Amino acid sequence: MQAFAYARPESIPEALALLAEHGSGAHLLAGGTDLVIALRNGSLRPTVVIDLKRVTGLSPAIRREDGHLCLGATTVMRDVERDAEVLRHFPALAEAASWVGSVQIRNRATVVGNICNASPAADTAPPLLVYGAVVLAVGPDGERRIPINDFFVRSRQTTLPAGSLVTGIELPLPAGRMGSAYTRLTRRRGTDLASVTMCAGVDGAGVTRLAYGSVGPRPVLVCDESGVLADPAAPDEVKAPILEEMLAGASPSPRSMRAGPEYRLAMLRVLGRRALQTAIDRLAKGMA
Amino acid sequence: MNAETIGADFPRTGGLSRVTGGQQYVADIKVADALQVKLVHLDCARARILSVDKSAAEAVPGVRFVMTADDLPQPVPRFGPHASDRPVLAAGRVNYHGEFVAAVAAETKEAAEEGARLVKVEYEELPAIFTVDAALAPDAFLVQDPAIRRAGDPLANTNKFAEHRFGWGDVEAAASAADLIVENRYAYPMVTHFAIEPHACVAAPDGDGVVVWSTNQHPFQLQKILAKALGLPLSKVRVIAPDLGGGFGGKQWPNIQPLLAFMALKLGRPVRLVLTLEEVFQQVRRTSAEVRIRTGVKSDGTLVFQDIESNFLVGAYADIADRVVSKGNYLAAGPYRVPAVRIIARGILSNTPPATAMRGFGVPETAWAREMNLDECALALGIDCLEIRLRNLARYQEEFVPGDTPADGRWEQTVRRAAELIDWGKPMPPHCGRGIAVAAKSGPTTGLSYATVRLLGDGSVIVFSGTSDMGQGARTVFAQIAAEEMGVAVDRVSVVMGDTSVVPYDQQTSASRSTVIMGTAVLNACRDIQGQLRSVAAHRYGVDEAAVTVDRGVVRLTGEELSLVEVAKAGLGKMGGEYVGNGIGRKDAVPDHPLQGTAAFFEFNCTAIEVQVDPGTGELTVLRHVTVGDTGKSLNPMQVRGQDDGAAIMGLGHAMMEHYIFDDAGRVRNLGAIDYRIPTSKDLPLELISEQVENGDGPGPYGAKGVSEGSILCVAPALGAAVRDAIGIAIRDLPLSPERVWRAMRDGK
Amino acid sequence: MNDRFPIDLKVNGQRYQVDVPVYRTLLDFLRDDLGLTGTKECCVVGECGACTVIVDGRTVNSCLMLAVEADGGEVLTVEGLAAGGRPGPLQRAFLEHGSAQCGFCIPGQLMSAHGLLLENPHPAAAEVHEALAGNLCRCAGYEQITEAVLAAAEEVGG
Ligand code: FES
Ligand code: FES
Repeated sequence: MQAFAYARPESIPEALALLAEHGSGAHLLAGGTDLVIALRNGSLRPTVVIDLKRVTGLSPAIRREDGHLCLGATTVMRDVERDAEVLRHFPALAEAASWVGSVQIRNRATVVGNICNASPAADTAPPLLVYGAVVLAVGPDGERRIPINDFFVRSRQTTLPAGSLVTGIELPLPAGRMGSAYTRLTRRRGTDLASVTMCAGVDGAGVTRLAYGSVGPRPVLVCDESGVLADPAAPDEVKAPILEEMLAGASPSPRSMRAGPEYRLAMLRVLGRRALQTAIDRLAKGMA
Repeated sequence: MNAETIGADFPRTGGLSRVTGGQQYVADIKVADALQVKLVHLDCARARILSVDKSAAEAVPGVRFVMTADDLPQPVPRFGPHASDRPVLAAGRVNYHGEFVAAVAAETKEAAEEGARLVKVEYEELPAIFTVDAALAPDAFLVQDPAIRRAGDPLANTNKFAEHRFGWGDVEAAASAADLIVENRYAYPMVTHFAIEPHACVAAPDGDGVVVWSTNQHPFQLQKILAKALGLPLSKVRVIAPDLGGGFGGKQWPNIQPLLAFMALKLGRPVRLVLTLEEVFQQVRRTSAEVRIRTGVKSDGTLVFQDIESNFLVGAYADIADRVVSKGNYLAAGPYRVPAVRIIARGILSNTPPATAMRGFGVPETAWAREMNLDECALALGIDCLEIRLRNLARYQEEFVPGDTPADGRWEQTVRRAAELIDWGKPMPPHCGRGIAVAAKSGPTTGLSYATVRLLGDGSVIVFSGTSDMGQGARTVFAQIAAEEMGVAVDRVSVVMGDTSVVPYDQQTSASRSTVIMGTAVLNACRDIQGQLRSVAAHRYGVDEAAVTVDRGVVRLTGEELSLVEVAKAGLGKMGGEYVGNGIGRKDAVPDHPLQGTAAFFEFNCTAIEVQVDPGTGELTVLRHVTVGDTGKSLNPMQVRGQDDGAAIMGLGHAMMEHYIFDDAGRVRNLGAIDYRIPTSKDLPLELISEQVENGDGPGPYGAKGVSEGSILCVAPALGAAVRDAIGIAIRDLPLSPERVWRAMRDGK
Repeated sequence: MNDRFPIDLKVNGQRYQVDVPVYRTLLDFLRDDLGLTGTKECCVVGECGACTVIVDGRTVNSCLMLAVEADGGEVLTVEGLAAGGRPGPLQRAFLEHGSAQCGFCIPGQLMSAHGLLLENPHPAAAEVHEALAGNLCRCAGYEQITEAVLAAAEEVGG
């Protein structure tokens, strides 16, 4: 691994000052599970690595605040998957977090890091999209709230302004009843990168949200407000065209080693139907 | 026989250091003053090297030397177990993705890495051959310059490295008598060993010779190859091969070691290299294969002929792959009674990573084709897939390959047990299926192992053996044998291995040979001591030698039984001392035999699998995996189970998820752990049952045969058959990935 | 800012105050600087788990962590599992169940198992599989490893 400088700011202003000073040569370190790989293989050669883990105000805790749950900038996957509030209100996020890598990885990898890398296959992205999460950022111009659907651009690119950092993710507690589920397709059952990710959310008003990833440059959020998809009694023939339209945004790369585009598109449909069914079942059981 | 020693679940000799972190693998050994080495390779499969500019690399602080082919004796020395075709460093050309063109030695790993990054190689990329079809195309270029082929090789102007023909009977005549002929093509992809310990080597000048620490299964073969390449006598080349972190065949033959030895001698300093996992994948893999098979049967399922044409794709250099081709195909017709067999087996050169030995040694590739095709015959005839196997299986002592070792086990017993354990014939729920397959692999066809046993003055024992323990547990088995024969507790025995300057010669650790061949050497060394003690006892107790017997720790005089150790101690007297026994285990070559010798034993296995297929995604859940092997006698059942479970899971990995993926230019795209998937603890069968049939009919100590490979041989066809049973479609390519299974279901073929 | 950084940490109960290059991973620090070679290196991308150690009570891939990140923390490696040089219950169970074949993955497996038992003294087999899914064993002694972990849990947890 090649030399770089290491900084460990203790406050947000200090971290922002370092970002300002080093510009594009600076790279943030939270969990490091992706960063260290990139440093070793030389795909990233930063001049300074800014470790955020000791910054007051960027805590790893999950906080319940007025009407929402807030994940910190350094909240790790392992804490998300086991947090009682997450499990209760956002079970698909807990599921997604629990499928990221191994226990060792999940003990280090952060949700914020996951979305800031903006990998199309990021497991936590679809549930965050379905739950309408808001990314909290701070930069030279002050604080900013970015709806997560406006956050992703493509792999390794987000709308986070240069010189800013993410301080947390806010998840609005569902106003009414909701059922949700996350599922993914992999090459093996053990830890794997997903070839398709899929999250479905159905609420008491009949609105269905689907978010899916790994089938295009960024994860996609779509919504059905007709109530048809959420209707357990609606026949498949009626649901199929709606689902079809919602999944039309997928454009998997033919270059992937994990699965061919044809298969991915077909599986998107299979997983879409399955996640939707689980979400409907959970709604009926009152399981969030 | 002492049931507490032989046949007991004795904890692994060397196990304690494995669970405390104390075990010193090559990468853990500190050699003072060692320079760190990093290899330089190109991002292409084939190229002409135009120039190598070392200057930037040499300017990196800490870099001591950048070695290129020019720094070697000219012409660049070549080496290999079969043909001396592989250059120590790429000489003018790169012939596969990952072949190293230079090596940087530096004071630190970081400096070596930075140096390697800065070595500037100018090259012209050339088209590469990485499929059988491309290699055999009429206008194909030659992967190997005829000049490096063996002298007089009639195939030197082709990409065929070798072509073997085996068989007996008249296939054409048999074909006209067959009621049904089924012909298909099957493919087995490139897979790799993926030992968790990456290959490592440290070389250091040692007086007027060299000492090399290497992750190596065959220290004595490495010693021989190094001595030849360096022009040194064997006595000046010391190879130390500490216990390995897994071998599976991938650590048998040299690749980086000659380079390191040359560097150490050139620099006069130790040099150390640990390959990255990505680099390991570029150095060793299993042969891939395309097998066309035509099977003829009578309407009752009796086999009348097998006509097999195998094309095994080997790498740019032969390594030991040609032996894989011949040995893997020699038994391609299986453990069956077949009146007429014709086998053509080719090893085909390509611009791909060198194919080498790997667990099963060519048999999984041919078993995949044969067993799947046999099922197709059975289905076409409406015969049960178990039934057709039992009908054709060679019986005990039947010479199923004319002129070779007859069937050395009651194989139908193994098959019936597996069928019973999988509930063969019991109805299954929808989307589920069952499959059964058998295979046999020849054990070693030649072999030579020496062992020395020292019975020390206090009745403890040291065994010296050149076998490598890579997890199979050879140490434990040798300790058990010596303990049994000397009549001491197993923990009183130490086993010294892996140093050519300390232990006597052993040919190699491969082909599941060590229990049988080295085990026999250890046993004979013990018998040597027992013989000495006979005279000691006769002398001491004033009886005739003929009246003394010594066996398994006991000395018997007329009407008296004494412990062997007691007699030994008494015999040493005041001066002390020890007894030294030497023993040999050998399997002689047979002139004109196509494999240079008959099989010492067969590893016979029957695998039966129950699978559930997800009709939406094609994902497989292995509900039950049964593997039954014929071990003759399991000297340590706990270790046998480890081998059987492990080979079964490795086989499942091959069958379900493993394969090299190439890009259009012949580069391997999925190097390393992220995109080459192997089974984890979450990918296991819901139930894994391994059992052994023990009839004491093996040639090794106490009736043992070799184990370690049996369980991998026919996992793929058992799984393939189970999937076919579930979805009604036979898939003839591997791995049976969800996508492939889904595609088959969608296309109905 | 410097390319070396002072750290103060405990490894297996022993305190170290040293300057490390900031690019040094915890894995290299343990193996090369402290000579604790029980922790193994294989994939260096967080996939194999051979490098697993416990930092502040949690299992991590030491190949994906910089040594500076462990500053102020407590690291436990396989060498620390044997109290007073005597193998601990997990280690004994691994021996007795034949779980270690070649042994190369075993330090990592032991640390993951230890981490599991810290959080969950009575795991079910599926929980063992989940906890150890990040530890590849190509000898594939997964069954015997799982049996050992369950047996050790039984012994310790009673
Ligand atoms: S070496 Fe760290 S996970 Fe493989
Ligand atoms: S014991 Fe060999 S890799 Fe696990």
